[in-house]
Amino acid sequence: MTQQQQSTNDLDRPKLIDTDVHNTFASPAELLPYLPKVWHEQWLNSELIGNPWYSSLGSVNRRDAVTPSGGQPGSDPKYMIEHHLDAFDIDYAILTGHIVINCSLHVDPDYGSAIASAYNDYMVDQWLKVDPRFKGSLVINFSDPEAAVKEIQRLGGHPNIVQVIMCSGARIPFGQRHYHRIYEAAEQMNLPVAIHPGSEGKGLAYPPTPSGYPTRYMEWHNILPINYMAHINSLVCEGVFEKFPKLKFVAIEGGIAWLPHLMWRMDKNYKALRDSTPWLKRLPSEYILEHIRLTTQPIEEPANHKQLVEIFNMIDAGKTVMFASDYPHWDFDNPKLALAKIPKEMRVRIQSENAIELYGLQQKAKHEGGGLE
Amino acid sequence: MSRHRVAGVDEIKAGERKLVKVNGMEFGIFNVGGQYHAYRNVCPHAGADVCVGTICGTLLPTPVYEYSYGRENEILRCPWHGWEFDLKTGEHLVDPDMRLRSGKLESISDSSENLERGELETDEDGIFLIL
Repeated sequence: MTQQQQSTNDLDRPKLIDTDVHNTFASPAELLPYLPKVWHEQWLNSELIGNPWYSSLGSVNRRDAVTPSGGQPGSDPKYMIEHHLDAFDIDYAILTGHIVINCSLHVDPDYGSAIASAYNDYMVDQWLKVDPRFKGSLVINFSDPEAAVKEIQRLGGHPNIVQVIMCSGARIPFGQRHYHRIYEAAEQMNLPVAIHPGSEGKGLAYPPTPSGYPTRYMEWHNILPINYMAHINSLVCEGVFEKFPKLKFVAIEGGIAWLPHLMWRMDKNYKALRDSTPWLKRLPSEYILEHIRLTTQPIEEPANHKQLVEIFNMIDAGKTVMFASDYPHWDFDNPKLALAKIPKEMRVRIQSENAIELYGLQQKAKHEGGGLE
Repeated sequence: MSRHRVAGVDEIKAGERKLVKVNGMEFGIFNVGGQYHAYRNVCPHAGADVCVGTICGTLLPTPVYEYSYGRENEILRCPWHGWEFDLKTGEHLVDPDMRLRSGKLESISDSSENLERGELETDEDGIFLIL
């Protein structure tokens, strides 16, 4: 390779990939062309799953992200490009949907699967076709693994779909055999499986903590990582990564700083209790570092930023962590500021390289540029 | 220092704001109960356009399980992370060291002379931002 080729390739390589960007409907009616008629009235006249917690901010969205026509933040792809991708030089945005990912917690599994399929077709049609910088997450209904597998096989091969996504609220920890067919299908199609929080304690999910319900939105939001710890613990101990050695699991928006504790506790117990998980061939923390990927937002903000760098070192963040903004939600992280205190070599890995490797996005998308005309 | 006319005397009603751009910098001019305050439109936390946030009151500090709403229109809530700033001082309600950056204001009205820690001049033409 000549020096010139090398530098051209370098220019083409993505520098910033945002791994958690929320697209939503301008109106629920947008889903109808993709949803069988039998479900229309239910979709239009009911909430997918309820939400008992009220945020004193009044909305999950940034107030400054309302679209020019007064629509829901995140509902206009052209405006999202202008307001977020172009504004922050984002090379790819991994779209993670919105409340539809909670379809797994609806009481009716058939309705949940219908919503997942309709949303996926809508996403391909209304978002992925708009700009090649958008990459999609395939929503599945994990309450019906057979339907979820069919959905992965139906659409998982789409060139602009880069992962499977499901809500993190659940009734069975994610390592258990109930989900294995889903992981098998995802692994066969070379798709990571991602989870996103927000459904903890809602719909069919159990309370957000084993001790019951927090009373406040803040209290609920504070403790979301407990569920992520439960799932990662389960995934490792149940041998998911021995059974599916190519599978990657993405823990979106669940926090990061708790991970060293979990790794060390699991490793210590494994040294004494290995015979209860004889299928594990390595320390639990080694499975975590190889198979789990975490996203930064909402990045922890200790008063002494060096403490966060220390924690990032403990979990080899240069391999395991990917940048996310959570646009257009209220706890959005500013791409220009969120990682400013992270050492450069690690920052580059977090901003783009880890996502390039996970999602196979080695080259920047060729796009026309610009959002709204 | 230079003076920049940013609003007419009665232009900004109590509880309201006006966004202005002076020397390439955006400021929010707030009328808080008849007193004017100017703040840079950059949140000291994460850089959001803080001055477009909601002007509101808040829950006052109280004993456990008691609730008291107050300070109506004295609080600015950032449109991103919801951080609450005291419009009278620019201080974040949780960490007073985290402050909105002020601009100094002057106004014609004697009654609003103690607008800001900065010096005031009076003028019949309106409210002036001193940079």
